Order: sequence, then C-alpha cells, then structure tokens
Amino acid sequence: MSRSVRYASSPLLASKTPVWRSKFIVAAIALGFVVLAARSAYIQVVDNAFFLKQGEVRFARTLTLPAYRGRILDRNGQILASSVLAPSIWAVPEDVDRENPAVRAKLKQVARLLGMSQQELDKKLRNDDKTFVWIKRQVDQPIAAAIAKLDVKGLYQRTDYKRQYPQADAAAQLVGFTNIEDNGQDGIELEFNKQLAGKAGSRRVIKDRFGRVVEDIGEQVAPVEGKDIQLSIDGQVQFFAYQKLRDAVVKAKAESGSIIVIDAVTGDLLAMANYPSFDPNNRKDLTGEQLRNRAMTDVGEPGSTMKPFTIATALQLGRVTPQTVIDTRPGRITVTGATIHDDSDFGILTVQGVIQKSSNVGATKISQRLSAQEMWDTFTSVGFGQKPQITFPGAVTGRLRPWRTWRPIEKATMSYGYGLSASLLQIAHAYTAFAHDGSVIPISLLKTEAPAVGVPVFSPKVALEVRQMLHMVTGPGGTAPLAQTVGYSVGGKTGTARKQAGKGYSNKYRAWFTGMAPIDKPRIVVAVMINAPSSGGYFGGLLAAPVFSEVVQQTLRIMNVPPDLAVKPDIVAQSVRETS
Amino acid sequence: MMRLNLVLLLAVLATALYLVNTQYQSRLLFTALDRANAEAQKLAQDTETLQVEKRTQAAPGRVDQLARAKLQMRPASLAITQYVTYDAGENGHPPAQESAVPQGNGAGPASLANGVAAAAKGGAASKPFPGAPR
Repeated sequence: MSRSVRYASSPLLASKTPVWRSKFIVAAIALGFVVLAARSAYIQVVDNAFFLKQGEVRFARTLTLPAYRGRILDRNGQILASSVLAPSIWAVPEDVDRENPAVRAKLKQVARLLGMSQQELDKKLRNDDKTFVWIKRQVDQPIAAAIAKLDVKGLYQRTDYKRQYPQADAAAQLVGFTNIEDNGQDGIELEFNKQLAGKAGSRRVIKDRFGRVVEDIGEQVAPVEGKDIQLSIDGQVQFFAYQKLRDAVVKAKAESGSIIVIDAVTGDLLAMANYPSFDPNNRKDLTGEQLRNRAMTDVGEPGSTMKPFTIATALQLGRVTPQTVIDTRPGRITVTGATIHDDSDFGILTVQGVIQKSSNVGATKISQRLSAQEMWDTFTSVGFGQKPQITFPGAVTGRLRPWRTWRPIEKATMSYGYGLSASLLQIAHAYTAFAHDGSVIPISLLKTEAPAVGVPVFSPKVALEVRQMLHMVTGPGGTAPLAQTVGYSVGGKTGTARKQAGKGYSNKYRAWFTGMAPIDKPRIVVAVMINAPSSGGYFGGLLAAPVFSEVVQQTLRIMNVPPDLAVKPDIVAQSVRETS
Repeated sequence: MMRLNLVLLLAVLATALYLVNTQYQSRLLFTALDRANAEAQKLAQDTETLQVEKRTQAAPGRVDQLARAKLQMRPASLAITQYVTYDAGENGHPPAQESAVPQGNGAGPASLANGVAAAAKGGAASKPFPGAPR
C-alpha cells in the first residue's frame, strides 16, 4: 500500500494535490466558525435585548394578584357584606361546535345549570364572528364546578367575586351595594369604597407549555387587601327595628317609613332602617325608589317634634319654668292675620302641659317670649339646617332659613315645627341633646367604645326638665301612651305634620315619634317616621309610638340594660321531673 | 495533558447534567409550591363562602321566622327574663342578685329572642355577660 492519497482512479486526477489548497479549505472553515462564534457572542452578550424579549413574550406571563374587597361587619363582628368567589362563564362562540350532538347534549345541561333556556344560550353562542361572549356572570361556585366538569370546548371560566349580604333587606339602604365589578355604588359600600377596595398586586412568572408556573421572574408586587369596616350597627337591633317598622308601615298602608336607633352614651348609630326595602343580593332589585336611605336623604317638616327645642330654649334663657302657666284658650291664636289651631281647646296649661298635650297655641305663646335669633341659635346648634357630620352618599342638610328673614307668623310656626325641614337622622341627632344631659353628641357610623364628648347646648338641669316633660307625653293624658313599654321608663315627643304639595299642604301626613329610654339615664334615642299612612289614622302617637315602644323593649334587652320599672313576672313554675 | 483534559471534560459534562437536573427538580418543587399556594387561597375563599353562608342561614330574619313558624316560639319579654348581676366574688360563684322578677323554676316558656341571640351569634365566641337570662 502506498501512503499517497488516491482521490480517484481516473488518471486525469492522479496528479498530486498542492498542500495550500487543503490549508485554504481548513482556513475557510475555521473562518466560518469564527464568524459563527462572534455572531453568537454578539447575540448572547452584546445585543441580547431583542431575543430576551421574544423569549419572554413566549413564556413569561404577568399574573394579577387580586386584592379581596374588605368585609363590612356589624359592631359584634358579624358579617353584613362580604365578597365570595363566583366564577363568570364566557365562551369563544366559533370554538363551540354546536352541530355536534354530544356537544349539544352538554350545552343543554349547561343551560339547565345556569337556569336559562336553551334558546337563550344558543342565541349567545350564535354570533360566530365574535371571539368573546359572556354566558353568565357571577355564577355560584357549585354550579361553576359542575359546568367545568362537563368540559365543553370553547367554554371558559373567569375568577370573579360576588358581594353577599346576609342581612338582605334589613340593612339594605345603609350597607349599600356594589356593581358587577365589585365597586361600591351606594351606602357604606360607596362611602368607604377606597378602604374596602384594596389594590391588586402583580407577579411576573414563567409558565411551561402546560400552563404551570415554573419560575418567578422580576419583582412581585404584593396585593394590598381591602380593609374590613366595622360599623356601629348592631345586626340584631337593626333586624328588630326593620321588622317592627315594616309591620307598622304595612299595617298603616303607608308609602314608606324610617327608623333610627342611636346609643345616647357613645353616639353610635345602632340601627337605621327603611321600608320599603330591597334585597341587595338580587341584582334585578337594584333600581327604584326603595334604594334611597330615606332616614338620611329625605327631609320633611318635623312638626311637633320641634316643640321641646322651643321650650328648652325658653327654659335655658329663664323666660319660663316648667310650672309657668300658659293660657291656650280658646284653642286658637291669631298671629299677624293667620290663625293657629290646636286639636282642641286645652284650656290653661303649664309649660309641661304644652308638651304633654302638644299645644300649638302654647308653643306659639312661649315662642313670643323668645327672639327669632335665640330660636335660630338653638335650632342651629342642635344641627338643624346644618350638614350632618356623618358623611353618607346623599345625606341632606335640611332647611332652616336665617333668622333675619323670619316673619312673625313664621317664627310662630317654627316653634311647632313648620317652616323648616330636617331628615330623621337630624331629628334623632338633635334629641341626643336631651338624652346626653344637654350636650348634643356627634353620631358615629363606625364602632366607638368611649362615651362621646358633646357640645353643650342646654344645661343638665334643662335637659332633665325636658326629659320629665317627654316622659309625661307617654303617660296618662299625654299624646303617646302607646309609646310605653314593659320594664323601661320612656319619654318622647310625637309629631304629625301635613305634607307639603306644591305651595300648599296636601291631605297626606307624616307621623313622627322621637324619644329615649330609660328616661332617667337614657341609653338610646329612637326616632320613627311613618310617611303618608292611609289606614288607621295618621297621628304620630298612634302609628309611630307603638314602633318606638317595641324597638326600645328589644334594643335595651339586647344591650343588657336592666329594667328600671317593676315588671309583673310571667314565669310559670312547672314541676319538671329530672331524668338522670 | 490529554488525559487531564479528558477528565476535566467529563467533569464539566457531569456537572452540567447535574445542573440541568437540579433546575428541573427546582421547577417541580416550585410548581408544587405554587399549586399548594393556589389551594390555600381556594380554601381561604371557601372558608369565606361558608362563613357568609353560615351568616345567611343564621340571619336574625330567617331565625325569627323559623322559630315562629316551626318551633312556635315568641319574642322574649322582660316578664319572662330573669336579670342577675355577675359579681366576681369569692369562690367564683356568680351570686344571683337584684332580680327584676322573683325567681321561677326556670321552666318558663321558651323565649324566641334568646334563641335568636344564640343562633345569630352563630359559633362566634360567646362571652359570658351580665344579665344573661338563666
């Protein structure tokens, strides 16, 4: 064997290959490798941004870390509103094979689960050129799980949250509601939306082809969870108040009604209910008049519930004493040409009697011993015509005109509650002045433990004297004996005001009752308003006072306030045989 | 020299493969962790759902209605309530004092509102409070 390389058997190629040629080839290939190495170094080290980005686009995903909306709790920590998982079902219509009998059968089940007819579902899926359509939003979890199990191609689920309100209609206007995106729309939900909402976080991850997260990249922004809001409301008091109000409004065939219960020591709002109400869990109910928190958004002339303020002003300024005699004969009085009437001729009354009998003439005569400014000062300092301190969507200011513009007849009518307007909350708030030893206290929607610090308006002595008068209202000969309740001494003032219609007055009424209990050392202030009753009379003492009575009874019992009056026991002793 | 290089090459190859394996393991673990986190989140949400459900079932309105309709109960009144004051005296016995009503044998009619109170508290830690009906 010769050592020379024979490339071919052809003699033409038998000539010896020059060495430079093979060297040239080696060099060329080497150069090729160098170019490749340089290029790869350039791509991987110097100019790698483009490829990094392309890689990321294919594998990296940004996940949103949802922030849960905070809960709304009552003063005992019970849930008034909370968000729960409720997936939304959506579809890519073109991916759903509606011709396939197997898929059709599944779709039939889906429709049944979602509580819609098959035609309805078909209609949603018919739009083939759409790449996205909601089938149903916020489906209950078990239903969503059942649909996921059916595994219909083209049908997907999105994590969604639904707000649930366990108290349903009892606290509906106060708690409010959210829209489908879980943003507050009304009530507390709107007022505290910022605190409740929280802030979603995000997280950058790499997902593999199965969609599993395999690696975190970059920084993770933790979600800021929504804060829980603890209200001053007591769920049980709220329910009882709502229940009693509802029964009264239904019985009187009234247009509406509102009730407020305030803790007279801390200023906490314990209950605020309105009827008619709605169920915030049912989205179809979320329109119409019943959404208004009437206790705060609707104003009316308070009528006789104003009289205690006129009289307290006169007492405070020393113009009268509780025993001062006022002659209300003959049951009417003329002020600059206009005549003011009483329900009947009450004869000669003391100042106490004016409150007890609710005499308009008496209140007018007492107001004649006061200047307009003095009355205005009192009314203003207890909050009439002032913006309520509680911020709440739609809370109104009411109307109290400046005293300089009061004509003599207006000064007279204002002494018994006509010519100014206030919301039920404002009236209840004003009455805290009598309940809290002469100081009007701020009302709180959030739970507070410490006794409230009030602004003194009357002296404790005047507050006590007025409380005694209010107590007489509920006693024999008063306008509201129906306000009495077993075990607790009460006091309050009725009001029956004709509703304004245009420039004059209609024959519709508002029946008010505002009072407190126990009367010696009030723990609660309760204000009730029945709007436009059409059956069984229209007097505050007849319609609103019984609601007050029942609510006081239940509220004080729930608050564990021992009764201050002797109670006739109704405990029946039975012999019980014990079994061991 | 050649032999050393060979050894080094093998070593590099081995560590490289080990690195790949470690990376794989770490991803498996990460996936498991992520899944566990998701599970934890789901369980937390289930807890919330159940709590809300419990609250809905124990809502005063519902309990009141059921107690009236099914159990023929009626709201508690003061006439059938016995008030006792809790006095953390010696022996830790809460002596009954200041009763609003004379003591009965405790076999009074069932009281609805107390039933409501108990049910509505729904498992929340109930603290002993003065004035609880006996």
